[in-house]
Amino acid sequence: MLQETIGQERQIQYQNLLNLVGDQRQDTDEDKPLLKASQMRSIINSHRMMQAYREGSRVAYVSEQFPSEIAFAFDMIPWNLESMAIMLAQSVDVDRVFKLTQEHQLSRDICSFLRGPYGMMMENCYPTPDFVLTNTQPCEGLSKVGLISGKGYKAPVLALHAPNSIDEDSLSYLVKQMEHMMSRMEEDLGIEVGPDSLKSVVEYSNQAREYYNKTVQLLRSNSLPDVSRELQEIFGMNYFGVKENARICKVLYEEAMQLAGKETSKRKRVLWIGQVPEESHEILQHMREVVDIVYWAPLWDANMMMLDEKDPLKSIAERAILYHWDAERTKVETSQICEDHEIDGFLIANVWGCRNVMGISQVLRDIANSKKLKHLTISIDLVDRNNYAFNQVKNRVDAFLELLQ
Amino acid sequence: MNQEDAVNRAIEDVVDLHRNRFTLLKEAKKPKIGWVTIYTPEEILLAAGVIPFRLTGEVGLNSTEPSAILGNNYCSYVLSCLGEGLAGVYDFADGIIFADACDMRKRLWEAWAREIPSNKSYFLEFPNDASDISKEYFASQLRKLIKILEREYECEITGEALRQSIKVCNESRTLMQRLFKNKKGERLALSGPESIQVVKAASTGMKESFNTKISALIDVLETAEQPPARDRHRVMICGSYFDHSEIIETIEGAGADFVCGDISNGVKYFEGNIDLNSDPVTAIADYYLEKNTSAYRLDTDVRVEHLLDLVEEYQVDSVIYYALKFCDTNLHDFPYVKEKLKEEKIPVLFIEGERNTTNFGGTKTRIQTFLEARMF
Repeated sequence: MLQETIGQERQIQYQNLLNLVGDQRQDTDEDKPLLKASQMRSIINSHRMMQAYREGSRVAYVSEQFPSEIAFAFDMIPWNLESMAIMLAQSVDVDRVFKLTQEHQLSRDICSFLRGPYGMMMENCYPTPDFVLTNTQPCEGLSKVGLISGKGYKAPVLALHAPNSIDEDSLSYLVKQMEHMMSRMEEDLGIEVGPDSLKSVVEYSNQAREYYNKTVQLLRSNSLPDVSRELQEIFGMNYFGVKENARICKVLYEEAMQLAGKETSKRKRVLWIGQVPEESHEILQHMREVVDIVYWAPLWDANMMMLDEKDPLKSIAERAILYHWDAERTKVETSQICEDHEIDGFLIANVWGCRNVMGISQVLRDIANSKKLKHLTISIDLVDRNNYAFNQVKNRVDAFLELLQ
Repeated sequence: MNQEDAVNRAIEDVVDLHRNRFTLLKEAKKPKIGWVTIYTPEEILLAAGVIPFRLTGEVGLNSTEPSAILGNNYCSYVLSCLGEGLAGVYDFADGIIFADACDMRKRLWEAWAREIPSNKSYFLEFPNDASDISKEYFASQLRKLIKILEREYECEITGEALRQSIKVCNESRTLMQRLFKNKKGERLALSGPESIQVVKAASTGMKESFNTKISALIDVLETAEQPPARDRHRVMICGSYFDHSEIIETIEGAGADFVCGDISNGVKYFEGNIDLNSDPVTAIADYYLEKNTSAYRLDTDVRVEHLLDLVEEYQVDSVIYYALKFCDTNLHDFPYVKEKLKEEKIPVLFIEGERNTTNFGGTKTRIQTFLEARMF
């Protein structure tokens, strides 16, 4: 597509987005000071979004745990398809978007984190992509959404298939796929991305990761719920590979250091497992009154992995495989998280349509039982309100919180 | 015995392989390994002296326990298979191979390994495209599987053994291709439900016996007096795991013919053949990756092209897209597939169901209405 046409389209798409989630944004009750790192992330996010709608920007739709270093090596703006759906959850007009997907024959049994982006694309709110880059994490459904979006926008879809097992065959298979992906991008864009581009991106990624890991260490023995939340946001944004993200992680670490020194009364810690609602969500507000919430996903081993600067693709491949929620690996990893972070209970958020959380829930409940931790599995929907009623869930959450005390 | 009786007898002989599979498999003095997707390389298991049989989920009617393990809103084929495993239906088997054909089947493998440790379980990586990189990788995974089987059964899986098993499976496929030509204007050799039963018989692992029986059936059909030709509305079924004689009976009862199942209990199981002149492992890897036109394949256009080829080959008038409830890949594909079929002016009816459906009334009415509007 001509750049000029893409630029015009993106202007319209930007206005559509503002209409959907800007003017129509729901009011929230919470009004609390943000961490500096959160404010920085908010600014960077806004800047990134503005850039994505500009003519001449290179936009790549990416799936949730796609190695964003690849996109950054090509100076592309990674547009995280799934995370963007949470913006939709904040719109009062969310029903209209879901109705549109249903009219388009997309089943309501599909996870709303996938139906959401689908609907937003139908509403023409997302910026026209130059590429769609997908992988098989966290689920095949997201790859399918990526594929369909590529077909809709007539953008090349380049996909990675991450196997489940970690061995030399699997690593080399993924490395070859990434090499192929990058050479195809070079070809299509008519540019050559030398090893130096990837090298500097990987250096930034590691810089951020270093502070990220140190912050996680602080989280272990200190009550830092806002820091835990911010780590969740940084994980969701998946902006590893740019200087700004390294800066956010550094600032967060420094703030966490300061906060860690302050005396706070010890509260019970609940590990939130599964998809995470936006911060002002009623369940989170309700739980925060009684317990500290520690988010599971940012603590995964894959997030702690430093990349090998001499052989980055191989370590990116290893990280990609680690991102699979393999039952055995998850068991070991989550047990360790429980010990490191002195977890008192699990809340497993079973989002309607997320087969992977559902399929692994029993493993998680077994861990909780073996460690004599309290656990609660709730069925909710964080984007489509038709599938969820707070009052019903609240009763169960209250009973769980009582058990914890 | 008159011709009709001879034909019926020959059909029953084939179908009995499926009907009596548990007894036959238990009696067989060979190791047995189950599988849950048609992209499992049966040839390798046969070369190891193993009987590879399909888990059908047919007798896993109690979904309470599997739902507690995997979740309520889960693919009912997966839940039924787990239900069968938990009920001890496959206690006679050495193990089960779970090729990566969708996220839920991967979770089924994990649940099986945890909950049914008496059955060994093996996960086979299976790429979702057919690029050269993927073919090379899948071949490496097959070599790994060969080593495991050699160790387990203290045997050597030679190139010759693989070629021999490829030959046997190619013969099965060729015979089914011959049986299910279903040319327009000709009376179909088998009824719709029978055709599904025959494919299920082919997947019980008793390949040589199946080949003998199906050859006999083809002989009887080819020597029998041909029934009068008829020209009826031709229906194809595509989508998830499908095994519903009620749906096919409804199609046939409405005056249409079920001519092609682009499903794992249909042409998807027996199409193509493995090249006997190449390195056997490479040829097996190439065959299974290229044959994968299911919803698991990422690029839906490959599926659509294959679907349209079948529409042309079988001169299909209407398509029924059957998705098991919660079968994500098929649910994701549907809007796109429907659009593409619409462009070709091929009507399509979407039906959602369960592995073991009991309440069928609504579906029946929808199929009848869909077909009547197009036939009369």
